[in-house]
Amino acid sequence: MTDHYDVAIVGGGPAGQAAALTLDDLKLKTVVIDEQPQAGGQILRQPPQSFRIPGWMEDRTYAPLVELLRRFEARTSIHWIGSHSVIGLRREPDGLFALTICSPDGLRSITAARVLIAAGCQDLAVPLPGWTLPGVYSAGGMQALLKAQRIVPGEQIVLAGTHPLQLLIAAQLVEAGGGVAAVLFSQPHGTMLKAGIRNSLRAFDRLSTAFPAVRALATLRKHGVKVLYNAPIQAICGTDRVAAVQHSGGEIACDAVGLCYGFVSQSSLPRMMSAKMRRAGPAGGWATLCDEWMQSSIQGLYVAGETTGVAGANAALASGNIAGFGIGAELGAISRDEAARRVARHRANRRSLLRFARLLDEIADPRPFFPALRDDTLVCRCEDVAFAQIGPVLDGRSANAVKLVTRCGMGLCQGRNCEPTLLRLLDNPNDPGFTARFPARPVPISDLAT
Amino acid sequence: MGGGLIGCATAWRLAREGAKVTVLDSGDFGMGASGQNAGSLHFQLERRFLENGDALAEQATRTAALNRLAISDWSSLEADLATNLHITMNGGLMVAETAEECALLELKIARENAEGLRTRMIDGHEARQIAPYLSEAICAAGYSPDEGHADARLVTHAIAIAADKTGALLRPRCRVQSIRRVCREYVVRTAAEQFAASQILIACGAWTAHVAAMLNLHVPLFPVGLLMNATERVAQVVPHLVQHVGRRLSMKQTHSGNLLIGGGWPSRMALDAEGRFTLYRPPAVIEASLRGNLRVAIDVAPMVATINLVRSWTGITAISADQLPIVGEIPAMPGCWVAGGGSAFTLGPTFARLIAQSMSGTKCEELEIVAPSRFAHLNSFMGQ
Amino acid sequence: MMRLDHGIERGRRIQIILDGERVDVFEGETLAAAMIEQSSAFRRDSNGMARGMFCNMGTCGECTVTLLPGGQRVRACLVPAQVGMDVTRD
Ligand SMILES: Cc1cc2nc3c(=O)[nH]c(=O)nc-3n(C[C@H](O)[C@H](O)[C@H](O)COP(=O)(O)OP(=O)(O)OC[C@H]3O[C@@H](n4cnc5c(N)ncnc54)[C@H](O)[C@@H]3O)c2cc1C
Ligand SMILES: Cc1cc2nc3c(=O)[nH]c(=O)nc-3n(C[C@H](O)[C@H](O)[C@H](O)COP(=O)(O)OP(=O)(O)OC[C@H]3O[C@@H](n4cnc5c(N)ncnc54)[C@H](O)[C@@H]3O)c2cc1C
Ligand code: FES
Repeated sequence: MTDHYDVAIVGGGPAGQAAALTLDDLKLKTVVIDEQPQAGGQILRQPPQSFRIPGWMEDRTYAPLVELLRRFEARTSIHWIGSHSVIGLRREPDGLFALTICSPDGLRSITAARVLIAAGCQDLAVPLPGWTLPGVYSAGGMQALLKAQRIVPGEQIVLAGTHPLQLLIAAQLVEAGGGVAAVLFSQPHGTMLKAGIRNSLRAFDRLSTAFPAVRALATLRKHGVKVLYNAPIQAICGTDRVAAVQHSGGEIACDAVGLCYGFVSQSSLPRMMSAKMRRAGPAGGWATLCDEWMQSSIQGLYVAGETTGVAGANAALASGNIAGFGIGAELGAISRDEAARRVARHRANRRSLLRFARLLDEIADPRPFFPALRDDTLVCRCEDVAFAQIGPVLDGRSANAVKLVTRCGMGLCQGRNCEPTLLRLLDNPNDPGFTARFPARPVPISDLAT
Repeated sequence: MGGGLIGCATAWRLAREGAKVTVLDSGDFGMGASGQNAGSLHFQLERRFLENGDALAEQATRTAALNRLAISDWSSLEADLATNLHITMNGGLMVAETAEECALLELKIARENAEGLRTRMIDGHEARQIAPYLSEAICAAGYSPDEGHADARLVTHAIAIAADKTGALLRPRCRVQSIRRVCREYVVRTAAEQFAASQILIACGAWTAHVAAMLNLHVPLFPVGLLMNATERVAQVVPHLVQHVGRRLSMKQTHSGNLLIGGGWPSRMALDAEGRFTLYRPPAVIEASLRGNLRVAIDVAPMVATINLVRSWTGITAISADQLPIVGEIPAMPGCWVAGGGSAFTLGPTFARLIAQSMSGTKCEELEIVAPSRFAHLNSFMGQ
Repeated sequence: MMRLDHGIERGRRIQIILDGERVDVFEGETLAAAMIEQSSAFRRDSNGMARGMFCNMGTCGECTVTLLPGGQRVRACLVPAQVGMDVTRD
């Protein structure tokens, strides 16, 4: 079964929603595919429809995003395919794009004249001794448990890393009734302040309003949660699950850890299409290059949101609007001039948001603070590849060559977790990283077989 | 030239004999076909030789002597290298589902037995006793007790390390840019260096024809894009090499637990700006190949159906104008050797050993069947 | 673990089978959420070490489980719990 659309959008986060609404306004037949059951993306990961959570995401910083989401959900002319992962993307000889999508119920194919990849980002996975113990989560994953499942995965939680988002997550956890033992920043307080001050001129307009970390700090103070600076996490201890974390200044007992070193773009689909990429900000990962209309180096393949580099939800929203008009103009649904007029304010908005994102990147820069790896620290979680196996082949060879001999990157996550670490260890700015391969997500053999 | 299995293994053999050897590769060692292949050690006559008429089957049968040598070379490789390469030789089954396929198997086995290979025909029942994961639809199989597989991820890497330890000079990331013949020597240039050698070996896999062109020579090796599939790791269930006599399939389980599913299904080679095949970008997956390949796997071993596919990759190998490998000295170019084409994973260590022996002056009759001289006519108009 | 209970109405309570045992869960919550309530450890790795879920967004594969009787391997953090589900972590 193949359905055809004018535009297929991968990802129902702010970027995908904004683009879909624009395209729908322009009367283009649009589908949005997301592996989550409901739209919202990572920032508004929605609870199951059977849950009632009064006041869900009521905080005013989320208001524009919630408003966008409600408009998106009400727009029945946009075709929504939730609970489906896009596992393959290719260009057919007739020029159309073909997407292979799968769910536990099987496989489907979709063709589209244009494709927008708004696949968002994931937490940067940072290996350290003990990080594979049960109870260690990516901080974003922990936050999503709270947002969407109303579960707090511990009673004494430690958040550790370099990204200020961990303040927000800790505040959300305590406000919901969870226990947070500590928030550990690897960097000294001064470094964060200095980066803030250095950039305060360019980001001044946003620091006070859009930097909810300040409010989060107040909440944490109120709940008596320790926030330590210059306290890089060094190891996580425990036998069958997390029992404590060690940082430079001592040990803290805990039953769950959220690691928060920043975010990296999800890049498997654009890389599968051989779109031109650039090494993204200090956290690593690959951002897809695009023009002023959000078109990638592949004609007809557009990108928006964190796929183009991690810059936050509002920038994602703006870029989704731009991409929507860009695609609309290319498909003749609106004149280029009119489209240019309509995107002007989104472009201006996005520019200023990107400046803010760079400030945040600088404050959160994890590079000086990556924990030291021990010989038995697993770099590749999927294939259980320890640092000791990788060290000896760091002799100038490529990431692909290291992958071949060590299996680092060969597992279920397709290298999404270990690639940034490996590229950092290789320290070769020209290494193109792992070759992206089909499928972007694991898929049962029987679904694919004819 | 070429740091694949053949290049590295030849260097290792030569260096052990005291020769001064250098290996150049444009990329990292073992990242060509030698690192992309399925790792099958197949000693039964290949299906591709059976689907193109009797003459080819007859000719291919005559390479059985090489297969016999390969069995013993693989049996001793781990001991020679003192490394674990996950070589298993627990036997291989080439299965049949229809009466015609059974008939084809019988003919094939008769040819193999005549050449001294230990294959035998077994019925479906016995096949399932040996390999309980096989489908009820399997009515017979050719069984070779010697077949198996090795970890293609590790083999070339380990041999390269051995070559290095034995004194060979290994130069990864040094692309050969030109070759000149000066008096009785060859001068091979890379971007930064040049090397003079009394003998050279072109073992550049799918790139062999390009490199031979630097000497104004034709070597009729053509690039073909193939497809491989790997599943997530599962408990050990398939200790054998499984192939199919009538459909394209090779299946095995790696030491780590992944099932590798391939068997010669095509992928689509990338084209350059001029519309010519390019070897510098990975071929694209052909959806029909992928679906067809996985279907055969399920038909043969139904338990694979629910296992997750984690990666499909494409790789480029070289195939010759007549399907047989091309291995030996170029008649018009004394001292210039070439090796490539065909199943040079299974046969790679053997080719390497025989070339090293021949380069050192001991003629090898086993290589006659694959000698480049059969294509000498292609070079009769090529000036030196 | 803690399922928060103030200010929230969850779906219906249902039962699923987890590694052969009946467990009470809420309809619609993810299998991973249901599993984490039992134990944060989901499986053992090839070194025999206990392992749990990690990303909770479908990218890492650490939460992969098998659905019976079909045998499909799915990411538990993406799949909602439904009546009658039979899940094994092997
Ligand atoms: C776990 C997590 C938590 C975060 N929490 C916050 C926060 O609290 N505050 C904040 O400012 N920022 C947060 N971020 C950053 C956040 O991603 C952005 O601010 C915002 O959501 C970006 O919008 P987007 O549209 O670019 O992508 P997203 O909102 O991430 O949307 C992308 C969507 O694409 C889907 N997708 C990706 N690949 C595929 C595929 N192959 N097939 C099908 N669907 C696919 C995903 O399921 C996702 O729903 C978080 C990020 C993560 C990863
Ligand atoms: C998907 C696939 C599956 C296969 N399955 C099997 C199997 O199961 N069993 C089997 O027996 N065979 C199999 N084969 C075939 C087998 O892999 C090859 O025959 C064998 O690996 C060839 O080894 P090689 O050393 O000749 O070439 P390669 O490994 O390709 O090495 C050639 C090297 O030459 C280098 N090179 C190229 N140009 C230059 C230059 N200008 N200068 C310097 N270096 C250069 C390349 O970088 C490369 O490393 C398969 C092949 C593929 C692609
Ligand atoms: S926890 Fe990472 S995929 Fe489910």
